[in-house]
Amino acid sequence: MSMNLEREKAVLPGSQLTVKKSLDISKILFGATVISMLVALYFIFIFAAEEVTMGAAQKIFYFHVSSAWLAFMSFFVTFVFSILFLIKRKRIFDTYAYISAEIGVVFTVIVLTTGPIWAKSSWNTWWVWEPRLITTLILFFIYIAYIMIRQMDGVWDKKARLAAVFGIIGFADVPIVFFAIRWWQTKFHPIVFGEGPSQKGGGIEGTMLVALFVSLAAFTILYSYLLHKGVSFEKMKIKVERYKEKLREDLEN
Amino acid sequence: MNIFRTALLLAQKDLYSELKTKQIMVTQIIFAGLVIVVFSFAFDPANNTTKAVIPGVIWVIIVFAGILGLNRSFISEQRNDTMQGLLVAPMEAASIYLGKFIANFAMMLIVELVSIPFLFLLFDFKFYGSIPYFILVVFLGSFGFIAIGTFLAALAANSKSSEMLLPLLLFPITTPILIGVVQATRIILTNMEKFSSAVAWIQLVTAYDIIFFVVCFLLIDYVLEV
Amino acid sequence: MGFEFMYGAYSVAWVVIFGYMVILGKRHTKLKKEIEFLKQLEK
Repeated sequence: MSMNLEREKAVLPGSQLTVKKSLDISKILFGATVISMLVALYFIFIFAAEEVTMGAAQKIFYFHVSSAWLAFMSFFVTFVFSILFLIKRKRIFDTYAYISAEIGVVFTVIVLTTGPIWAKSSWNTWWVWEPRLITTLILFFIYIAYIMIRQMDGVWDKKARLAAVFGIIGFADVPIVFFAIRWWQTKFHPIVFGEGPSQKGGGIEGTMLVALFVSLAAFTILYSYLLHKGVSFEKMKIKVERYKEKLREDLEN
Repeated sequence: MNIFRTALLLAQKDLYSELKTKQIMVTQIIFAGLVIVVFSFAFDPANNTTKAVIPGVIWVIIVFAGILGLNRSFISEQRNDTMQGLLVAPMEAASIYLGKFIANFAMMLIVELVSIPFLFLLFDFKFYGSIPYFILVVFLGSFGFIAIGTFLAALAANSKSSEMLLPLLLFPITTPILIGVVQATRIILTNMEKFSSAVAWIQLVTAYDIIFFVVCFLLIDYVLEV
Repeated sequence: MGFEFMYGAYSVAWVVIFGYMVILGKRHTKLKKEIEFLKQLEK
């Protein structure tokens, strides 16, 4: 570990610079994202009924929940690709895990900013120490740490290995964090199953549910677009690095 | 078992070198004392409400003193370039982890043995709860904290700024254990009527300890690769 | 009622999403420049 292994072993094959024209799928995903986002906005602002007590502020709910869903999903994707990387040791799995974690952090930021705004409007306080909020905050810190492992110096396979290990540990930690905080918040009366102190009082109206599902779908499409985009950039970066390595090799010989 | 024999050998080596230099443990104990002094500025010891923060202070001391020791355990191997030697030695990565864990855990227990009575003494804390359960909680909490801490220290040691990286990795991951252990300590020290919920917290911490000890054991092979 | 909160939340959300896209775009242009430079070097 402490020995200097910082150099890649040999110039790998496939170090040409020709960028393939694989823009079609990216364009399709972009179009789908734009259309589904517009549809989602229509459903949220025009179709869905307005909440009686909370008024317009309730409309934050749709984006808030969708971002939370997207963040959790992308962390799950990171977890799955981390396991795959440790088994198969293919670089593409590592790239997917990294980009997915990054997108997850971005959407956790949205959750953590829209959440307090909504809380301020309905509970008249910015922050409540409530299980879901604290779990999200800790999730945010865990994946910030994950990205910091990626920023380490050294060869890629070492970083990828360590990050994959941390991605697995971090995701395994999330349910335990949630239960621990829920027990803590229920004033020392442990509940394992059933409803804890809930954010939502009562049921949810049909039109709102439709709007919620439409925005969930829109966010999922947005996620796939961002993932595809990020992975293609990362691939390009790897190609450039390999090409540089080849140039260096040529200069030395 | 071969794994345990090599692990014990490694732990013995670490503890022996620590006994010779007394570098880490003296620092940890002095640091714990300083934290207690700082807390006496922050919370007036003459005030009666201060008793409520004692359970939290105990764990702040353990966490910060523990971080100091964990940082050193793998860095010192790298300073002397002996990490490579350990890795190519005819033993498994799991036994390196186990050995380091035993050494860290032993040092941590000694630090606790010195600093917690010192804290009670300085804050004039009257002990109402049950001492055996208090010791059990401290033992379980330190076990989990050091287990996951040793693992993440091995992970962070690959970075050039591992002293800064380790707390960032360790604190979010150990939140369940810290919550559980602080709550259990508070109930045992101040409010023994709610003992049944303290037992629930102890169960949670034990479950966490077991899960993460096993997970670390399985994943350490990937962290300590040549 | 509560309109200012709604506008606030949605503008924050869109700023974050577009900000991330802009960052991705910046990475892309940087890579493109690098590729151009390397191609020049090859000649």
